[in-house]
Amino acid sequence: MKKRLVWILIVAVIAFAGVTVGQETEDSVDPIVFEQPVLIASIGQSAGAQQARILAMKAGLDFTFEQRPTVDMLDGNATLIVVLGASSKGLGAAGVDMDGEIAWGIELITRARELEMEIIAMHIEGGARRGPSSDLATTTFALLADHIVVKGGDPEVEWTEAEEANGNADGLFTTIATENEITITYIARTLDAVEVLQQLFVVETSD
Amino acid sequence: MSYRLSWSAACAALVVVLGALCVSATMPISHDIRPGHGVTELRWLSDYHPALRGTPGDTPIYVLEGDEPGGSFLLLGGTHPNEIAGVMAATLFVERASVSKGTVFVIPHANNSASRYNDGTYNETSPQWIELTTASGEVRTFHYGSRRTQVEDQEPDPEVFVHYPSGIEFDGKEARNLNRNHPGIADGTLTQQISYALFQLVEREEANVVVDMHESSITSRLAHMIVCHPRALDIGAMATLDLEWAGIIMKLEVSQEEYHGLSHREFGDYTDAYVFLIETPNPGQERSITTPDVVNDPLAPLADRVRTQISTFTTLVNNYSLMSSHDEQIEFTFPFEVHDLVGSNLGEYLR
Repeated sequence: MKKRLVWILIVAVIAFAGVTVGQETEDSVDPIVFEQPVLIASIGQSAGAQQARILAMKAGLDFTFEQRPTVDMLDGNATLIVVLGASSKGLGAAGVDMDGEIAWGIELITRARELEMEIIAMHIEGGARRGPSSDLATTTFALLADHIVVKGGDPEVEWTEAEEANGNADGLFTTIATENEITITYIARTLDAVEVLQQLFVVETSD
Repeated sequence: MSYRLSWSAACAALVVVLGALCVSATMPISHDIRPGHGVTELRWLSDYHPALRGTPGDTPIYVLEGDEPGGSFLLLGGTHPNEIAGVMAATLFVERASVSKGTVFVIPHANNSASRYNDGTYNETSPQWIELTTASGEVRTFHYGSRRTQVEDQEPDPEVFVHYPSGIEFDGKEARNLNRNHPGIADGTLTQQISYALFQLVEREEANVVVDMHESSITSRLAHMIVCHPRALDIGAMATLDLEWAGIIMKLEVSQEEYHGLSHREFGDYTDAYVFLIETPNPGQERSITTPDVVNDPLAPLADRVRTQISTFTTLVNNYSLMSSHDEQIEFTFPFEVHDLVGSNLGEYLR
């Protein structure tokens, strides 16, 4: 418990630093242009990270995918994409529990910030990947990102896809983005993230 | 005198009935499956493990070989025969699909012993049979089986079932669960021998893809899920994106290393195949539903579940083919839009 409190304090400090450095919202400034190369990692070890890998491939990004990278693997990259979503199977396969995953995630993001990397948090598995462990990953790490991509609806806009596909039905990601002044993109289908990544990284497309 | 005669007649009748039961309990049960034009050969599982011949564990294998050589795909229904959408998706494949490239091996009743009757596991009121009406008005009946090999077909359950070769321990009744017995044992229990024969098939036919179709309860987190062996995760990830685009939302999970005995783990570990397990939601497996309608449930009708199974394995195989060399690709089609199964009378698509 004490250990958890210490981590939360560390997260709060990092979050505060992030907010003071990057006070940008969709309304006030131009969208951030993220730089390549990119390292894609999972926090929570769900298979959604594998989907993100396919999305990055389709988007034409210069990227490396590592489900659970060491901090050394950040070197040489300009942007870190963390795919949020907890899976007991994935955590089991990695041989860690959620506390260990949170500690590792903080270490990774702290190092990424030291390297002055930009960070994108993605939650692309919809409502099926919501729950206490996934939400712990979200509430701990989404607020540390420079941009959030969520498969789910803007609470202000009617959601027309299947209910279980909405990863933001309770507005959690909207709240985090608003409270921490982080830009956010809502997608209805996972494949929509291809276009979003192309826009975020200004990837030229053939059409 | 007449009293004594009637007793004798009754005893004789009993002997005949018991004899018939003995015969039926030692023979593989048959099913109403009507192979379509795509089926090029009928084999038996015992062709891959002769010790199974004539036992309740033997089961037909429908082979659909395309004109063009290619890869090979094993489609399993009825590993748990109460998970009826997999059985019916395999049946529909046998009756209607055509393979243009590669070879598809379809086993609609992977555990044929368990297919014989429904022992009521999970829901005592789930049916023994389902009825489907074809386009010509004929009513066809299909067994709704059990989760496990029938008790009378195998030696009594041990107190603890120790999986071979991992040594992992399960509850004793899991000795009869095909999806806890992989990769099987050649001279083991009936369930272990069924598994062994399936592995022989995959090895001998050099199957590139194995799909094992299952169902869960409606409220289970497993519902609408693809579980992939780690080597197959790329293909699974690509398939879930394609499926979502087609309006089918499937969760993606990777098979854990300690999931010994399960198809998605063991076929992937012991063979070169890319292995997937598909789960759709079955009201018959929901304990809280007192009288489940496994065919016409308004939330999860059988036709919709069969559509999900077919669309999912088709998308998995298509993505496998995208990543494979020309001579290992697999192509098949149905003479109807699979999406049209949604909300349909499934029977109208059968022969």
